[in-house]
Amino acid sequence: MAASNMKAIKRRIKSVESTMQITKAMELVSSSKLRRAKARAEQAVPFFNLLYETMSEVASEAVGFHSAYTELREEGAALLVVIAGDRGLAGGFNINVFRLADQRIRELEAEGREVILMTVGKKASEHYAKTTKRVLGTFDNVGETISTYTALHMAQHIVHLFDQGHLALVDVFFTNMVSPLSQEARQMQVIPVPNMELNPGVRSLTHYEPSPEAVFDSLIPQYLAGILYCTIVDTYASEQAARRMAMENASDNAQEMIDDLSLKYNRARQASITQELTEIVSGANAQG
Amino acid sequence: MSVFSLQIITPEKIFFEGEVQRVIVRTTEGDVGILAKHEKYVAALPSGPVKVILSDGSQRIAALSGGAVKVSPDRTAILANAVEWAEDIDIDWAKRSEEDARRRKENSKDQQELQFAEMKLQRALNRLRVSGMKE
Repeated sequence: MAASNMKAIKRRIKSVESTMQITKAMELVSSSKLRRAKARAEQAVPFFNLLYETMSEVASEAVGFHSAYTELREEGAALLVVIAGDRGLAGGFNINVFRLADQRIRELEAEGREVILMTVGKKASEHYAKTTKRVLGTFDNVGETISTYTALHMAQHIVHLFDQGHLALVDVFFTNMVSPLSQEARQMQVIPVPNMELNPGVRSLTHYEPSPEAVFDSLIPQYLAGILYCTIVDTYASEQAARRMAMENASDNAQEMIDDLSLKYNRARQASITQELTEIVSGANAQG
Repeated sequence: MSVFSLQIITPEKIFFEGEVQRVIVRTTEGDVGILAKHEKYVAALPSGPVKVILSDGSQRIAALSGGAVKVSPDRTAILANAVEWAEDIDIDWAKRSEEDARRRKENSKDQQELQFAEMKLQRALNRLRVSGMKE
């Protein structure tokens, strides 16, 4: 009995070991992908800061500034861009952002607004695969290799729909990497463009060509593309960070299981030796 | 000749940073040359060439696909979706994307597809034009 027990434990140790090899490998892959994604996320910052600075200057300095993109329309649908990962095995990473987005969908529908979705990442398109809502576009597997053109293409789709009067507001749901150890699902209002009028009434002598409004409106697709690019890269970095953490935990748990099983194995081995000894001794005694 | 600091920034990287004598951009209203001590100025840029005259007087040309130029007293910045030096442009690739854009334009089903194809075509043509401008 003891021998078969030992064999079973040995087999379990082997299987946990091989699982641990996988989780260890995934942990390493995620750490190196995370490093690259972080660098990419940081490189986008100067561009986006300057773009935002320019737009807020236009909005706050130009006298009588007026743009369709800064006012909330009564009519029109709400577009929610939901950005998630392409793969699972990353702890609560995907679930958190869906929970936030689903809550917002319920809120908007309670207000009587139509909701249109745009999904980024395979997990997001799977999550909304059965929805009856209109899906404007699904973008799978873009996180790792997203180019500015992809982001611009997405932005132009959205701006086009907005310009035709179908949309009232655009929200982006993504995961912000606060630190490699913590990621936070966030909601960001994109259109109407928020908080643009930093110091209204300050007249500037800046020369806008052809006009402040034209400059502002022509920057909108880039602004949207910039936000999409940054949030997609950020989400991708978060996905890698979350996976690295989940895999680290899994490896730790596996190690713990192996330790536990080794102890059991040793006990079983000891037990079988003791039993054999007792059998020999009692046999010898019976003989004597 | 006095110089001023110029930055050309894309979402992927800071493409160019340095002192220049002059920069010429193509705005929606026409070509604009910017020298040191230019007034504060902001303009939208469609796809077009950017000519940079460096502090030693040498000239470089780049193809820019959409963006804006912002002149402030301390620096001049060009925001671009994408930008490439003329000598780095892959002409074969630009030609292929031109053909692809033309094909898409013919096969486009609605206004939106047509508009996207047209923009792609403009970008490809711009790159081809700029690559021919190199000295």
